[in-house]
Amino acid sequence: MASRGALRFSEDDNVATLLENLASGDEVQVRLGKETRTVQATEDIPFGFKIALTDIVKGARIVKYGEPIGIASQDIRQGGMVHIHNLEGARGRGDLTKGAIR
Amino acid sequence: MSFLGYARPDGSVGIRNHVLVLPWGFLSSKICDLVDGTKTFLTPDYGGGRTSRDRETIARTLIGLGRNPNVASVIVQSLYPSAGYPELTPVRIAEEIARSGKRVELIDAVEEGSTLRTLEKGVQVAREMVLEASRIRREPLEMSHLALGVKCGHSDTTSGIAGNPVIGNLFDRIVEAGGTAFFGETTEIIGAEHVLAKRGRNEEVSRRILEVAAETETIAKATGEDIRTVNPVPSNIAGGISSLEEKSLGAILKSGSAPIRGVLTYGERPKGKGLYFVDNWMSMVSIFAGYAAAGAQLVIFQLGGGGLSGHDLLHTSTAGVAPLMWTTANPKTLDMAPTTIDFYSGTVIEGEDTIEEAGEKLLRVILDIASGTMTKVETIRHTDPAQIYLRDPCF
Repeated sequence: MASRGALRFSEDDNVATLLENLASGDEVQVRLGKETRTVQATEDIPFGFKIALTDIVKGARIVKYGEPIGIASQDIRQGGMVHIHNLEGARGRGDLTKGAIR
Repeated sequence: MSFLGYARPDGSVGIRNHVLVLPWGFLSSKICDLVDGTKTFLTPDYGGGRTSRDRETIARTLIGLGRNPNVASVIVQSLYPSAGYPELTPVRIAEEIARSGKRVELIDAVEEGSTLRTLEKGVQVAREMVLEASRIRREPLEMSHLALGVKCGHSDTTSGIAGNPVIGNLFDRIVEAGGTAFFGETTEIIGAEHVLAKRGRNEEVSRRILEVAAETETIAKATGEDIRTVNPVPSNIAGGISSLEEKSLGAILKSGSAPIRGVLTYGERPKGKGLYFVDNWMSMVSIFAGYAAAGAQLVIFQLGGGGLSGHDLLHTSTAGVAPLMWTTANPKTLDMAPTTIDFYSGTVIEGEDTIEEAGEKLLRVILDIASGTMTKVETIRHTDPAQIYLRDPCF
């Protein structure tokens, strides 16, 4: 597969979506319109998954499409994969309210 | 732009020309086995033990399917366990469908004296109706007559990048031309409802969008579960989607950029044309029948599929009378299910097409299907039963 890089959708995004498979140590071009920047993967990350563009501290918002998609459930390093192991969605979560309707 | 369709007495235009036999049951099944050109609508939801709100939803669905422009004429048979509720009597269903001006015949097992005699009557009436329908010719008609419904499913990150935005571009073109487009899946606007609400045609529509999302979130929380064990579904997570918010923000891209004219309930017919949000359930066994009851002649499944293990997905339309077409932007999914996918929008990811170019190509495919070309799964003569979206517990 030709190198297709990764995409972010807004200036505010702190993650990008990969359009290629990355191995740990690979550099990837992250595109937003005509602007590109380079990030180095710190682990293997497959096509379609997200890479952190900056260090994200535990409790901080993770932003894609310019909108929050959840919060970091642990510190995430730049170049790391962002998925359900370190991102927690906040919406519709009955387990957060222990069944009580807020 | 135009397509070749069937003009109906109420001014609507069909892209198919079926005789519909309602409701599902022994008689409808057997009539459809024997008479070519007929369809029925398979559902186990017949109303017994249901609240009046849910019984009305069942009635609205059956009536809406009968009035769908793809239907030339309708047989309503009485040998069906409607349990005597007034909303669901065969006479009411038949009368409301007949308001569209199309031929509707009621066949009554009590009048005929036995099930098999009723079957004979039904077969003869169906044969007559199919012959009549076969005399109707397609004619060139404006694209403004089209109504499409979409669902995105097994979404992965290609859905948010290309698959849904290309559908959104198609919807913009349909709405711009004066046609109608339906999208929905209320759970899957949670986390993106504030973005959608900005597109309400007026304050009332914006308020309704926020309201239906809040209602659904309240019901979800009341279960006490982590919604991530329910939605995003496992194939979404395997495809790279990490939270409901991320899924929703990708999902709403399929609605394009037109103002949202209204918020409809399941199976509700819109009062005008344009883009509508439908407060419905995402499942393919439910959503398509609701769109068809609202008047959609064609339904679209925009498939991610990155999280699915390989098989060819020969799922056919559960919409009864509206054919189903499949689109994907994931090259792996296209390789996995080439005999199902009608349109591939991964060219956007590959840099060969812009979203606008892919949207224009998709529109041409849609007009071709609307003019009579079959969708790939339409060639399969099998339908799974549909589940009407009922909101209340059963008793």
